Amino acid sequence: MTPELELDLAMITAHASQDSAALVRLYTQAADAANDLDAACFYLTHAYVFALESGAAQAHTLHARLVQHGREE
Amino acid sequence: MTQTLTDLSDVRRPIDKANGLPNAHYIDPVVYAEERQALLFSQWAGLAVGADVPEPGDAVPMTFMGTPLLLLRDKDGDVRVFQNICRHRGMILVEEPRKIEGAIRCPYHSWCYSTKGNLVSTPHVGGPGQNTHASINRSELGLNEVRSHVWRDVVWINLSGDAPAFEVAMSDIITRWAEFDLPVHHGGPESKFQLSVQTNWKLAVENYCESYHLPWIHPGLNSYSKLEDHYNIEKPGQFSGQGTMVYRQLTNENGDKFPDFADVGTKWNEQAEYIAAYPNVLLGVHRDHAFAIILEPRGPEETMEHVHLYYAVPGSDEGLRARNAQLWKSVFEEDIFVVEGMQKGRHAAQFDGGRFSPVMDSPTHCFHDWVAGKVETHRALAQAAE
Repeated sequence: MTPELELDLAMITAHASQDSAALVRLYTQAADAANDLDAACFYLTHAYVFALESGAAQAHTLHARLVQHGREE
Repeated sequence: MTQTLTDLSDVRRPIDKANGLPNAHYIDPVVYAEERQALLFSQWAGLAVGADVPEPGDAVPMTFMGTPLLLLRDKDGDVRVFQNICRHRGMILVEEPRKIEGAIRCPYHSWCYSTKGNLVSTPHVGGPGQNTHASINRSELGLNEVRSHVWRDVVWINLSGDAPAFEVAMSDIITRWAEFDLPVHHGGPESKFQLSVQTNWKLAVENYCESYHLPWIHPGLNSYSKLEDHYNIEKPGQFSGQGTMVYRQLTNENGDKFPDFADVGTKWNEQAEYIAAYPNVLLGVHRDHAFAIILEPRGPEETMEHVHLYYAVPGSDEGLRARNAQLWKSVFEEDIFVVEGMQKGRHAAQFDGGRFSPVMDSPTHCFHDWVAGKVETHRALAQAAE
């Protein structure tokens, strides 16, 4: 199994169990591994939304990263 | 041209000549929809109680006469009421009671709102990974907040948004019960119950606000609080009810009682009052406890009664609280066959609204006069708009 497929399956599992902490971690991981900025910001957006929803401390950092790339206000 | 659905001229006559509201006001879906606007959306109606959302972040979705609402205690502890829909596609935001840990995320496209209703995230709104767009002004797209006010822990809402300020609209009852303007403490899960009743909500108001029925429907009262110990309470246009000069405190086997509300004064040593605050909240006050009943109209012939009991201090005697809840539940259950029987009676086409006892029924007539006045005003405005 490729790392990409492994990550994808982990995300599906986290979605199914509504595991916010895992969703934040896995989408951040996907953003960090992405090859281009658009893909990275797509994943960062998801990580940020789930952090925001769950009140996770990472929301602040994720927001800052999106703002830095002009993707969030 | 607006069709006048019912003739209310007899309702507004003096009590010795008046008839009650016509049958249609209890059974006709068209009149029910008219009253939704005239009597409930345009007024300060009871929705819930603050104790339904005790902690910051607690959120309870509810439907009030067809409108999806979200009762929420925000991060600072203030109770708020929002329309329970996303400003994007109108999706229902919260389906079940739950704790909002951070933000309210719409389950459709994940727009997120703070517990104060501010729109805080619009993912991919400008394309994948681009979360802003010039045409999406978040400051204009917060949740639609419903005007609300908390008094005696009841969450009152004004859906039309144009009623006078709560303190103005309810000034007389607030003044009347100024001595009870003290913190109330919900008795907890055992001190709330619901009664599902097959009746129009107005019949529950009417039965509550008069004492005429007490010796017949609640014979247990006769031994200590007789009919002659009661008096009528009427404030035309605002509320009506009844009081008693003989309130007897509940005691347990050790003779313990609930602590009194501090400094309510000797007037209330044996006096208690029961008032229907129009439109749909039934309140009771005693020296040592209080209650609030929210009448939730669920259709022309269906009402859910949400009953909540309150005390002067938190953590009062658990056994006494259970006994008191059972006592009141028994009393309110005794009223069910009456309001359901009157509801069935409204299907008799020849019923003319009934004739009142000029002495004993004036709180009910006061309520009918209020209903008729509000409906007539609503009809006049609708006609003028045409």
